[in-house]
Amino acid sequence: MTRFGFIRELGLLPALVVIVLAGALINNKFLTPINVVNVLANTSALALLVLGETLVLIAGKFDLSLESIVGLAPAMGLMLVLPVAARGWGIDLPVAVGLVAMLALGALVGAFNGALVVRLRLNAFIVTLAMLIILRGLLLGMTHGETLFEVPDAYLFLGAATVAGLPVSVWLTALCYVAAALFLRYHRFGRALYAIGGNAQAARAAGIRVGRVTIGAYVVAGLLAAVAGLIMCGRVGAVAANQGNGWIFNVFAAAVIGGVSLDGGKGTMFGALTGALLLNVVDNLLTLAQVETFWIQAIYGGIILLALMFSRLTNRAEQV
Amino acid sequence: MTGRFTRALAFAAVAFALAACGHDGHASAGTPRVGVEVPLLTSPFWQAYENALAPSARAAGIDLLAPGNANGDTAKYLTDVRNFFTAGVDGLVLSPTDTAASVTVLDEAAQMKIPVVTVDVAPDAGTVFMVVRADNRAYGTKACGFIAKHVPAGKSVVVIEGDLTSINGRERTQAFSECMLQVPHVGVLEVPAQWDALKAASGLEALLAAHRDVGGIYLEAGGVYLAPTISVLRRHGLLFPAGDPRHVVIVSNDGIPQELAAIRSGDIDATVSQPADLYAKYGMMYIKAALAGKTFTPGATTHGSRIVRLPQGMLEDELPAPLVTRANVNDPKLWGNANS
Repeated sequence: MTRFGFIRELGLLPALVVIVLAGALINNKFLTPINVVNVLANTSALALLVLGETLVLIAGKFDLSLESIVGLAPAMGLMLVLPVAARGWGIDLPVAVGLVAMLALGALVGAFNGALVVRLRLNAFIVTLAMLIILRGLLLGMTHGETLFEVPDAYLFLGAATVAGLPVSVWLTALCYVAAALFLRYHRFGRALYAIGGNAQAARAAGIRVGRVTIGAYVVAGLLAAVAGLIMCGRVGAVAANQGNGWIFNVFAAAVIGGVSLDGGKGTMFGALTGALLLNVVDNLLTLAQVETFWIQAIYGGIILLALMFSRLTNRAEQV
Repeated sequence: MTGRFTRALAFAAVAFALAACGHDGHASAGTPRVGVEVPLLTSPFWQAYENALAPSARAAGIDLLAPGNANGDTAKYLTDVRNFFTAGVDGLVLSPTDTAASVTVLDEAAQMKIPVVTVDVAPDAGTVFMVVRADNRAYGTKACGFIAKHVPAGKSVVVIEGDLTSINGRERTQAFSECMLQVPHVGVLEVPAQWDALKAASGLEALLAAHRDVGGIYLEAGGVYLAPTISVLRRHGLLFPAGDPRHVVIVSNDGIPQELAAIRSGDIDATVSQPADLYAKYGMMYIKAALAGKTFTPGATTHGSRIVRLPQGMLEDELPAPLVTRANVNDPKLWGNANS
């Protein structure tokens, strides 16, 4: 089991290495430190979403609503502190309260999703799809479709500030991944996630509190989605009413090409991270290579397909 | 137990939804009932248009139904329009999400003798009383003209493109590229950002890192791309006010208040002001005229625009979209100034 898991972990790495080498040959700016930092910074928000989604997927569930939390949480956090003239609610709460409220909203939505799925036994796909639509609608209703331009500096810190040459968002993402990888491997809650995703009945029989652990995964995913939204807000310098729109597709794509199973019970943090990196590296390379806009999506999809085939050939582990 | 609770909840939800639907007010006799469909509400431009609808309708003596929002989805657009038929509207002011797919509902409207004015988009075929639109190709050309004049030779220009599956994104991109071909001393780099702020930020950041000679940027939609562009330039220490020799020339597109503020502060140089308020005003005016049985012919109008006959046979009132620079940024006639 552990040996098998190790091979799966390397899954995308050979493909990623080949793409990076090819990229360095195609464009001499590709491997410059500044571009590498850009790619890492651009990956951080997606990578945090993929981390959260991976936890939920390992437990054998889905969360589609993450992409809406990405927009709603920072927008609400901003509107709580902004005056009416800047399209806020004019409550003028301190910035710190806004930040806490933003994270709390993410965690609360996760808890609510988890409760509906676990306690009411509703289908996770449908519940979180409904939630995706509701939260997106709330965001549109709250902002009336307008972009929130006036962002206090504290909200920009995660996405825009740098520490020791790397953006804060990159440090944070790295930290989250290391913590999650250790947690999944060594903590009993982490191991319980795999057990639940593999066979919930057996896990319950083995004394694992299936409901509590699953809800926990949803809460962490919602919380990370709020952080990802804050990072996006910092990188863009504003929150648009369509922030995060359509992102769940990328999140699932990154997780699945990173070897996380949609059936639950399988997947690693390293795999999830390589999936998120692959998507952003290819995207960056296509922009640098100035591929004609009308063909960029076809080429993007083609490269990802090739990477999948390559990783299947370089390691025998079957993709699920 | 849980089942009964769920059923009660579902029943309450349905009852509430039905009660909410019951609020559909009825028109007083005489004033025509008009339905309006907007393609999306997540851009400041369409938001400004939606805001201007109610006062424009009041001024034209029109009973406006609650506008439908297609949210970028053509299927939703078609459903909304058919719901307007069911609601018994006298006229429709539509902004189709897709030039081709709108033809079916236009034919249905023609059969029911419901006149249609389209705003911002000229359908490929069908019966339309008037197309109210600004010339999107002119946006791209105007931006290119400004950049050609102000970006020094040997520099390159980044264009942050809209979604190329939308007619407005396509026309701006094509017109800009064609015009830039006539400016051989400036190279063009493209960012396909699909109206997404984060895509704009990552694409621009990649190009700035790779090309040290970027001297100009064209944003096809300031409403979405302004904030990420300023934020990326600031982060990379490239944001210098107009007049500084290191300044990157930025031309935006939309004319929202934040762009006008950025022109005043010197962060950006120009924007093409899309006439959001005029779209609403003349959309309402033309639908009222259609219901009153008036007709129009090609030629100059009394409100400073031109009516032209499109190749597919319908008439289009091409509203002016002025280029706003430091010289005219305080013009009170700009909708971005009226808003703030």
